[in-house]
Order: sequence, then structure tokens, then C-alpha cells
Amino acid sequence: MKNSDPNADRDPLSRTLRDWRVTTPLPAGFREQVWSRIARTQQPARPSISTLITHWIGTVLPRPALAASYVAIVLVVGVTAGWAQGRRENARMKDELGQRYIQVLDPYQAPRQ
Amino acid sequence: MKRGVLILTFGLLASLIGYCCVYRANTSSARSLQRSDKPELAWLKEEFNLNDAEFKRVAELHAAYLPQCRAMCLQIDAQNTELQKLLANATNTTLEIEAALAEAGRLRSECQTMMLRHFFQVSQTMPPQQGRRYLSWVNEKAFQPNYGMPKE
Repeated sequence: MKNSDPNADRDPLSRTLRDWRVTTPLPAGFREQVWSRIARTQQPARPSISTLITHWIGTVLPRPALAASYVAIVLVVGVTAGWAQGRRENARMKDELGQRYIQVLDPYQAPRQ
Repeated sequence: MKRGVLILTFGLLASLIGYCCVYRANTSSARSLQRSDKPELAWLKEEFNLNDAEFKRVAELHAAYLPQCRAMCLQIDAQNTELQKLLANATNTTLEIEAALAEAGRLRSECQTMMLRHFFQVSQTMPPQQGRRYLSWVNEKAFQPNYGMPKE
């Protein structure tokens, strides 16, 4: 394409830009990387976690086998947590009673009225 | 969707009920001890598997010991008050302070001897194996070198 502006040949910046040649080679795989980035930006947005959960509750959970498994698992989790917590609390309360026995008998620890 | 929410709620409810039932069942023995008339003695009976006759004797020893313990408490409190009075304005150790400290030491020794005598008597009313376990336990709780110090 011929330059239509006759003054452009006299402008040093335009002359320099026209004569400028890039000689540095592009890094390996540059073209593929650019295309893959473009492809990534064009992918549909991932569904959010709340959408996934709602979908799971609405369509997957009502399946009989899955519903039974879910109830069994949460029941086992609840019972196990109750058992562990109960045992710990029981031990703590008994330890406290033992400590109280010593406190009652030890004048240096006995509660003063 | 509605069915799914129902199943989810039912599962969580079942889990909560399971948790509460098992928790209550596991803490029932300690709670019943706490509700008893003398929780610390009820605990002793359960912890050292005492039968009714052994427990009756332990309870008698306990009841007989408490007035001695209270008298000792009064002596210790009086001694502490005396010592605090002496220390309040002191800038140096005096003969009086030294005497008060010696008296405090004597009281502590007397108190520990009295406790130890009681612990031996109690242990002798228990079956031998439980008696040894009881002595080992009271030794750990009341006679260790770090006795009375806060634990780290």
C-alpha cells in the first residue's frame, strides 16, 4: 500500500517505524500458548459451589440408595462424636470429683467459708 | 428439591439425636455421682469398687476426720494472718518472722501427717489391691513435690 501522505516520508518517526524490523526470535511454543490462553478464556464459567450443592440435593440425594447411605453415614458420625465427647466429659467430671475428695480432706486446699 | 431437603434434614436430625443419646448414656454415671448426697464419697465408692460395708466404714472415717480438718484449717488461717501482719511492715527478717515461718512449717507437717494417717486408715478398709491403688492415687494428688503448684 502506497503512503498517501507526502509529509510522512519527511517525518523521522514514521520513517524509523517503517524501517524497524524485529529480529529477536519468539520463545518456543509462543503461538500455542497464546492460543491455549484464548481457548481458556472462551470456556464456559464453572458452576459455583452453591449451585453444585443445590443440584446435588435436588437430583442426586433423593436416589434411595444414596439417601440411605447419607442417613447411615451422618448417623454414625453423630453417634461416634457423642460417644467420644461423652467419654471425655465423663472422665473430666470424675477427675473433678476425685480432686474434690482431696480438697475436702486437705486443709491447705479445703474451701473456706 | 423438596424431597432432597427433607432427606438432608432427616439425616442431620438423626445424627443430632444419636449424638445426644450416646453422650447422655456415656456421662450418666458421672452425672449420677454429682447428684448424690456426698459426690466425692460416691465417687470414691465407684472408683475403688467398694461394697456397702466397706463404704460405710470409709464414710465413718471421713465423717470423723472432717472436724480435725476444720480445726486445722482454723489454725492455718490464724497462722497465715499472723504471718501476713508481720510481713506487712517488715523490711528485714526478724526473730518473730522466723518463728512464724517455723510455726507455719510445723503446721504443714502436722497437717500432712494427719492426712496421711487418714489415708492409711481408709486404704486399710479397702480390699488390698484397691487399697494400694488408693494410696498411690492420694500420694500423686496430695504428696508430690509440686503439690499445690499450678500445672503447666
